[in-house]
Amino acid sequence: MESLDPRIARLEISDDAILQPKEALDQLVTYEVFVQKKDKAAFEHVGIVHASDVEMAFIFAKETFSRRFTCFGMCVVETGKIRITGYTDNDNNIYDQVAKVEHGDGPEEIYEIFHLKKRGKQHVHIGSVEAESYDNALYKAKVLYDDEKPKFNVWVIKNSDILFSDEDDKAIWDTLSDKKYRDATAYRAMDKIKKFKEEQLNQ
Amino acid sequence: MYGGGNLFETPKLDELRNEDPIKLKEFEDRIERGEKIEPNDWMPALYRKQLIRMIEQHAHSEIIGALPEGTWITRAPGFKRKMSLMAKVQDEVGHAQLLYSAAETLGKSREQMIDDLISGKSKYSNIFNYPTFTWADCCFISWLVDAGAIVNQTANARGSYGPYCRALDRICAEESFHLKYGHHCVIHLATGTPKQRKMMQEAIDRWWEPLMHFFGPPDKLSVHTETLVKWKVKMATNDENRQQFLDMYVPKIWELGLTIPDPNLKKNAETGLWEYTEPDWAEFKRVINGDGPCNKERLAVRRVAEERGEWVRQAMLAPQSKYVVPLA
Repeated sequence: MESLDPRIARLEISDDAILQPKEALDQLVTYEVFVQKKDKAAFEHVGIVHASDVEMAFIFAKETFSRRFTCFGMCVVETGKIRITGYTDNDNNIYDQVAKVEHGDGPEEIYEIFHLKKRGKQHVHIGSVEAESYDNALYKAKVLYDDEKPKFNVWVIKNSDILFSDEDDKAIWDTLSDKKYRDATAYRAMDKIKKFKEEQLNQ
Repeated sequence: MYGGGNLFETPKLDELRNEDPIKLKEFEDRIERGEKIEPNDWMPALYRKQLIRMIEQHAHSEIIGALPEGTWITRAPGFKRKMSLMAKVQDEVGHAQLLYSAAETLGKSREQMIDDLISGKSKYSNIFNYPTFTWADCCFISWLVDAGAIVNQTANARGSYGPYCRALDRICAEESFHLKYGHHCVIHLATGTPKQRKMMQEAIDRWWEPLMHFFGPPDKLSVHTETLVKWKVKMATNDENRQQFLDMYVPKIWELGLTIPDPNLKKNAETGLWEYTEPDWAEFKRVINGDGPCNKERLAVRRVAEERGEWVRQAMLAPQSKYVVPLA
């Protein structure tokens, strides 16, 4: 059968070429993506992208995660730069397992803290601490942010590792008003069906 | 939204015998309580394997499923239809990205998945191995194949694996216009000129059997899936999904004055179940194993995209950073 796919016809793709095995993995780096669903709302984890560097990751993240839902801000961070605790379940609070670490071996800097408050949901930004190491930041987060509800997992990220969208660039999140064809309401057709049925009856 | 009729391997009993019974019990209790499993949690090897297989098949289906519809973008009737179809196809490819990400949290790299797709090792929804001869074929996919996939995937969204459920929730929300768009296209043809009606009817005649295949082999022929149901990997059986689809969409097809090429199709008033002619399952097997009308060309398009994009990936590689498995 001759192909109906214009790509096959135009690009002169042969469909029986022998597959050459690839030599090495060329997998790009993984970045975690967080968005603000409302103005001034906390950043929530939404998923990942693969990219060569953090700026490219931001562009991919914007394409993937801000197209359809409201978005007021976005940030990305390399997955490998996130320090994660273990996971707990039932009513066990992960902070109960966090040891007292009053100092670290690095200079004091800002760390961002994300909590998993319900298993199956997303990690949500809860606040930041000034600390001298990841463990020091985690302990300070325990002191500051551990209320009575259990936290099942905590992510600790250096603020300097995160690329945030610019407050002055908010216009990039606006949806163009001429994209109505992306809404279900643009496809009402009950009138047509009704008219068709009436015509059938009258015949 | 193109995922459907997943094929599972027959679970081997010894695979479970090697698991730590205490951890297995904790794992099963967690699912029983309705809690989601997260990537860092202990899970049986079989659970991991079947989930990777299922999510990966779903992701491949989104990518390959975009091909038969994508071929019609340039030939869609009118600017409006072109815009809608382009938006839909773009969505589907984006959804493949979300699904690959979810599968990656289980430890299989995206590149390995793409490699397995291109080499034919991994499967995707069989229905996309058939050609779209006319615009009406494209409308059939947009409405009814999407509808079938929604039946399958809304069931899966209640499953036990956190990252997959989150991806599906997002996908379902993004897709709200797809089904309406497809229905709109079919209504337009079905209530149009005699020539348009004929074109739509011919598409239904061509696609009905592949669509019945889409939900997978009947339960009595399917592999033993009790464990997968208990672990909430599989949320509804193939026959349950097929019944639900028939119940929702056969009346909608009939009300447009279109017919379905199965003389035995009717709803049994007593059992409340649809009766139908079993589609040819030998044909299903033959096509899924590579011998369908479009298998080769679908993979060829992916292979060429991969080959021609290689220099971009190589140029972008940052050797100072290493790939790691995503967290959630």
